[in-house]
Amino acid sequence: MLIPRRVKHRKQHHPKRTGAAKGGTQLSFGDFGIQAIEGHYVTNRQIESARIAMTRHIKRGGKVWINVYPDRPITKKPAETRMGSGKGSPEWWVANVKAGRVMFELSGVTEPIAREALRRAMHKLPMKCKFVTREAGDL
Amino acid sequence: MTETRIKAESRTEFGKGAARRIRRDNKVPAVLYGHGTDPVHVTIPGHELMLALKNSNALLSIEVSGDKHLALPKQVQRDPIRGYIEHADLILVRRGEKVTVEVPLVVSGEVISGSLVVTEYNTISIEAEATHLPEAIELSVEGLDAGAQIHASDLALPDGVALQLDPETLVVNVVAAPTAEQLEAELAVAEAEAGIEHDAPESETTEPEQTDDTDEADEAAPDSE
Repeated sequence: MLIPRRVKHRKQHHPKRTGAAKGGTQLSFGDFGIQAIEGHYVTNRQIESARIAMTRHIKRGGKVWINVYPDRPITKKPAETRMGSGKGSPEWWVANVKAGRVMFELSGVTEPIAREALRRAMHKLPMKCKFVTREAGDL
Repeated sequence: MTETRIKAESRTEFGKGAARRIRRDNKVPAVLYGHGTDPVHVTIPGHELMLALKNSNALLSIEVSGDKHLALPKQVQRDPIRGYIEHADLILVRRGEKVTVEVPLVVSGEVISGSLVVTEYNTISIEAEATHLPEAIELSVEGLDAGAQIHASDLALPDGVALQLDPETLVVNVVAAPTAEQLEAELAVAEAEAGIEHDAPESETTEPEQTDDTDEADEAAPDSE
């Protein structure tokens, strides 16, 4: 699973989830992709689960790119704990995905296979997503 | 490539308020510039521009208050989610003028089974006459085996088109696909790390005993992921 090797601050503030992506909104490497149409935190487990789901479907046929990285720690206080005594301990690593971001890309397979593989991957992700393809006029 | 004729209106209002009013009327604010001339701010019908920009490097003939301008799209700003065009930068060109543009690379054909095509460059930088730009550069990988490499110098370019990339640039690489065993082993490790469990096949699962008490039956049922 994707985990940062070293971070500057072990406990961070929660990143903002509003707004749209500033970059990474078009396909860069592959021919097909998954684009987020709403913002959400995506954990490293969800990213890995989606990757496994699509890799299992395409078998040996294609190549997968992951364009998001879970670099933000999210903390949690233990259950039944009184408030105070400082911030909780880091529990998850998340990528702060904004609307419009292309999270996964795929190439080397036909469109029906890519569509089904990415549909399976979308079911592992917490937000609404859509399937995108490369078009000739994309600049 | 054929020209697409679009009638545009001159634009005198600027700023986000004016731009939003233009977009509400299904039009797109755009700017024409190049050759050291002053920029011309125009408003273009949104649907016509969207259809024209479906082709790469579409040659546009923009008619603004009686003047005709030949232009190529330089930068197109789109809404990141809905994809509609928010603004277009159009660069003026002359007939016969050579321009440098990015043209999509279309890979066709099937490689030998067990190989995988990795496209390093999805677009190729070329220099050609503005009025004779190719829509795409086609490349066949039919019958290639793992280890085959196609460099920029191997691409078949139409007449009058010059490559703007280093000829030694690797464009397409054919690599060996991972074997089924390698893939299965890699996925098994990844699944174990992520804590993913597979349901046992139906033939191996034992049905819980049917009892009158439904709570007991629920408890006996195996946890499903």
